[in-house]
Amino acid sequence: MKVKLRYSHEVASKPILAEIILKTGLLINILEAKLTPKEGEMVIDIATQGSALKNALGYLRSAGLEVTELRSLVEVDKGLCISCGACISPCPSRAISFDPSLDIEIDAKRCIGCGICVRACPRKAIQLI
Amino acid sequence: MEELRSYDVINDKIRHGDAVVMTAEDFISYVEQSGLEKAAKEVDIVTTGTFGAMCSSGAFLNFGHTEPPMKMIRCWLNDVPVYKGLAAVDAYLGATAMSETRPFEYGGGHVIEDLVLGKEVELRAESYGTDCYPRRSLETTIVLEDLNQAYLYDPRNAYQRYNSATNSSDRILYTYMGTLLPRFGNVTFSGSGQLSPLYKDLGLETIGFGTKIFLGGGVGYVVGEGTQHKPQSRFATIAVKGDLRSMSGEYLKGAVFYNYGTTLYVGVGIPIPIINMRVASTAALRDEDIQVDILDYSVPSRDRPTIKKSNYAELKSGKVVIGDKDVPSSPLSSIRAARKIAETLKRWIESKEFLLQRPIELLPNYREFKPLKIKRREVTVGDLMMPLSGLIVAKPEDDIKKVAKMIVDKNIDHVPIVSEEGALIGIVTTWDLTKALAEDKKTLKEIMTRYVITARESERIDDVAKRMAQHHISGLPVVDDLMRVKGLITSDDISRKLVGRRSI
Repeated sequence: MKVKLRYSHEVASKPILAEIILKTGLLINILEAKLTPKEGEMVIDIATQGSALKNALGYLRSAGLEVTELRSLVEVDKGLCISCGACISPCPSRAISFDPSLDIEIDAKRCIGCGICVRACPRKAIQLI
Repeated sequence: MEELRSYDVINDKIRHGDAVVMTAEDFISYVEQSGLEKAAKEVDIVTTGTFGAMCSSGAFLNFGHTEPPMKMIRCWLNDVPVYKGLAAVDAYLGATAMSETRPFEYGGGHVIEDLVLGKEVELRAESYGTDCYPRRSLETTIVLEDLNQAYLYDPRNAYQRYNSATNSSDRILYTYMGTLLPRFGNVTFSGSGQLSPLYKDLGLETIGFGTKIFLGGGVGYVVGEGTQHKPQSRFATIAVKGDLRSMSGEYLKGAVFYNYGTTLYVGVGIPIPIINMRVASTAALRDEDIQVDILDYSVPSRDRPTIKKSNYAELKSGKVVIGDKDVPSSPLSSIRAARKIAETLKRWIESKEFLLQRPIELLPNYREFKPLKIKRREVTVGDLMMPLSGLIVAKPEDDIKKVAKMIVDKNIDHVPIVSEEGALIGIVTTWDLTKALAEDKKTLKEIMTRYVITARESERIDDVAKRMAQHHISGLPVVDDLMRVKGLITSDDISRKLVGRRSI
């Protein structure tokens, strides 16, 4: 499950991720991080599900982080899209591809919501949701 | 070369519904299956297609006269400036002109799309008023049908093939070749490869002034060589013209490349009559036969270095190998639309709606492609830099306090650090020194920045100013080929010495 974490300045300097990894032994992959001593934002992938995931999210929230679960992150307006492919290779998580009929397909499981495809689209057909 | 069939014979067959027409991709399969000889004997016409961003596109418009009439001097359509250096109510709307109120979002290409879709477009114009044209301003709306003439007239479309793009630098680039990730993060390419109209008649034996084509969903004509036509390197181009009122919004799409600007995606399809074996053999060329150079777009030069020689087959596979790295690749042109154009053109011919037009003049087979020389001398780093004699240059072992005192005496901000041999190995700024004194450091090597951004004496000031802004720094040591310090250029030098000056 991909999760967006927002660090406020009160917690920005605390080793929250290290703590949760040590405590739970969960595999956590950092997909994107923008952190300053004052605040920050991070997209992480927690390799678990069910109650373990629920506990992990609960822990992150109790540590003072704003936690958003990421399901589908971008949306393609098929009316605007011309299937050019300009969004495919810039995608850093390789979530975008052509389907067999050359329609643009976005794999929600891979997408990290970085928004690079939004800028890459010459038709402004992609939006972050 | 022996003629396989004449235009007259082909058109007779079309009229009788007997012409054998194949899209370029079907023709390739047929040649692979039955051999070139048999395919060339049986197939009369091969249809092609491409649908990509073509910046040298636009439309000539005639608005008709108002009461009282007006000589429009400045004119806008949906806030996009329209070229008015023509007669009173003639205008040219270029695809890359951008809206003055929504730049980088909406431009000439979008206006063309909106007109073709039948949408209402705002027309605004200004004039100084003359005895024959008294009106001085107007604001109204128009639709395509209101115009007397509306011609798509593109000086350069349908490049035979196009170089593809990657980025070796450590920052993301936004180009007309799309978004290029740092450190060879991706490759983008343009053109439709084995469907490309001009590549399928590589020797340009059937394409020329007067060739009838699919243009923007309607019928158009080739009206000569395109600008930058360079057929000897397989970069042939065509100029095209067609009536906007016959076209469709499906094949004319306004587009934006982030931080580059607006453009127009144009659909072009050309029927290639198989008049001889030479034309047949180039019509059968496959993606893997069409070489494409991958260029490094991080080099700010018109001669960008080639990173790799690739081809459309590798590029379309979605993955290109650069060095030992698998790099994702993706098109900017719509291959799906290119196929649909070739199919549509085939259907038009089969249903007798579209006859072939023999060109009245073929395109030239050779054209020099000249660069633009800057004949005035431009301001360089050497003109504005502080020469070595005015600098403090230090050694890594030097004492911080001693250097700090020299900085105060000379009132400067940057101290290049050099080796015994005089080569640049680091830099220290006044800020570094302030920090060092606070932290009680002793020698320069403890605090110097070792990765130094540099400049050359011969570089243009513009390029160096951009580099400073990119790295958020205020001064660059100027070095020679051996990394010996020749001087220092700072943003202060540029702002003080350059104000009000355009050339030396």
